[in-house]
Amino acid sequence: MTAIWLRWTPAVAVPAVIAAGVLAGSLPASARDPLPEKTPAQVLAMIGQHQTKSFSGTVEQSSELGLPDVPQVGPTPGAGTGSLAELLTGPHSARVYVDGPTKARIQVMDRMAERDAVRQGNELWLYNSKDNTATHVTLPAAASKESRSHDVPAGVTTPEELAAKMLEKLDGSTDVAVAEDTEVAGRAAYNLVLTPRSAMTLVGSVAVAVDGENGLPLSVEVRARGQQEPAFRTAFSNLTLGAPDAALFNFSPPPGASVKELAVPAKPNGMKGQVDKNRTGKDLADKNPAGRNTDNKDLRGHAPTVTGSGWERIVGIPAPSASAPSESGESGKQSVDRLLNDPLLRQATVTVQGGRAISTSLVNVLLTDDGRTFVGSVPLERLQAAAAAR
Amino acid sequence: MSHSDRTAAQEPEAQEPSAQEPNGHGQAVHRLTVRDSPTPGTRRRPSSGSLLASELKQLFRRRRTQAMLLALAAIPVVIAVVVRVSSAVPPGRGPAFLDRISQNGLFVAVTAMLVSVPLFLPLTIGVVAGDTIAGEAGLGTLRYLLVAPAGRVRLLLVKYAGAAVFCISAPLAVALAGAGIGWVLFPVGPVALLSGDLVEPDEALVRMLLIAAYQAVSLLGLSAIGLFLSTLTDVPVGAMAATIVLSVVSQVLDQLPQLEWLHPWLFTHNWFGFADLLRQPIGWDSFGDNALLQAGYIAVFGALAYGRFVSKDVLS
Repeated sequence: MTAIWLRWTPAVAVPAVIAAGVLAGSLPASARDPLPEKTPAQVLAMIGQHQTKSFSGTVEQSSELGLPDVPQVGPTPGAGTGSLAELLTGPHSARVYVDGPTKARIQVMDRMAERDAVRQGNELWLYNSKDNTATHVTLPAAASKESRSHDVPAGVTTPEELAAKMLEKLDGSTDVAVAEDTEVAGRAAYNLVLTPRSAMTLVGSVAVAVDGENGLPLSVEVRARGQQEPAFRTAFSNLTLGAPDAALFNFSPPPGASVKELAVPAKPNGMKGQVDKNRTGKDLADKNPAGRNTDNKDLRGHAPTVTGSGWERIVGIPAPSASAPSESGESGKQSVDRLLNDPLLRQATVTVQGGRAISTSLVNVLLTDDGRTFVGSVPLERLQAAAAAR
Repeated sequence: MSHSDRTAAQEPEAQEPSAQEPNGHGQAVHRLTVRDSPTPGTRRRPSSGSLLASELKQLFRRRRTQAMLLALAAIPVVIAVVVRVSSAVPPGRGPAFLDRISQNGLFVAVTAMLVSVPLFLPLTIGVVAGDTIAGEAGLGTLRYLLVAPAGRVRLLLVKYAGAAVFCISAPLAVALAGAGIGWVLFPVGPVALLSGDLVEPDEALVRMLLIAAYQAVSLLGLSAIGLFLSTLTDVPVGAMAATIVLSVVSQVLDQLPQLEWLHPWLFTHNWFGFADLLRQPIGWDSFGDNALLQAGYIAVFGALAYGRFVSKDVLS
């Protein structure tokens, strides 16, 4: 009997060893020295001052917004790959290479496909391997530093940009604190937590991990009220400081790809609207985390109305008048219709009193029957009240 | 050719069982338990190398093995011929890369490797791995193998090594046949990677071999499962079917969002991760993750197979 017991020992020991290894790996490394204490203001300043201009890394993004999932089956790229809502559901990972303000490459790694944005100087290439299309944009010389946040394609935003955007919005409406240190991509980081003081917003809290050494934001996590998992999270899963291989920024479309040239209007801002039309997703991605960056180029020319303040802000877009096409050639209503043409979003739309609504855990959108649109990080009733007020 | 080659060579006095003759496992006559500890000194222990060589010879001389490799090689041929005779495929339809084939023949190999991952490769591996021990038991040759002083552990290792060699040759058959037929039927030139960058055909071939290596690693875990299942039964078809069914079940589970916590633990989870080898620069993370996962499966099911096989009463 002992002999038989001995013979089965490996079959018991091996899983035990694996389980122990997994457990040990999942425990946070406690041996690390704690970072020096800092106030929220000091951590904010670190972000503002960070000098990290060259790095390469992998960014993982995950969303639990309550939108339907895209099934990914078999040896084909996911059905919704490239669609707007697809970028806001499920996990995505992207490789990011940055060398100074004018050289950047972002690779969104899809299943059996990839979306690339490569910028070198004033040349911007967007490439999608799924349908083998490339878009070439020549940026005006003026669009130097600011436009960097704009050439990120569709959806995956680097933590750096997102943090800067959110910290701008800080005012009396938000409680800012530094929580216990965290570790992101193997680096010790300050954990800056922003909690809305208002109880009427859907946003529970926003946490930004700031590299303890150089101030680079390493992760952004947005939590919704009453939801266990983060509603939106983007974080570096690995990060290498230093200039990436320069050859990565040389891009020319492969033979056989259909290439589209995009003219850029003189105003640097116009570029964004143009790109948006072709690279869906940017507009909603902008709207998404803070939910209030709605001065979208698509919607311009219709004087959106803003009610409420801080986290409770509601943006109302009036119904388009047929005689006033916006300068980007597309009215707010049309862009809304375009959104609804996305099969996933159409699926997520429900009929409510006074119109239709798209409800996510962070943002609610109300499309009234008379063509107006209301957007805000507030409960749907507040949107309905805002719609009824006029 | 027959199972008795090696037994006969090592042990001339052993009776040659003929494959046609019903081997009558379960009969009282055969109910003698053969242990793996023959009296030392009476027989020369065959070297592991020669054991493996004879195992490989037996495996690859089988009509069945050759037929499976030929069937795998036929996949790219069918794809290439169909694309050749039909009109252009619009991009974004069908398996990835299908629309690129007419521009560059090397994509035949990539497409074929892609479509063979979910079913064809696991099917052949299931047949080979499920047959390892149960096949010998079913033919009644297992006890002769154990009478020869090979040792059960060594026999298990040699059997697994044979299955592993098949894991390497199966994706290789697809890749080479694909590159060959693509080269014959279509123009071959610099290959556009998923990232849009171009690589020369020779580097593309290297990447294709890397994909084949990735798939070979992917299949090693399944082989270990098949080896274990094969020690459970004397009916090889049962072990083969169970192995194949498990690979399908694992892939189905991998699609259910409700089981997200389980996904990283499924042996099929990283099977499509070889796309990272087609990016610029190559993403090695998925290769490493996959290798680690498969190593875990090999360790667990290897240990299970050991426990089962060493304590098994071999009756046939």
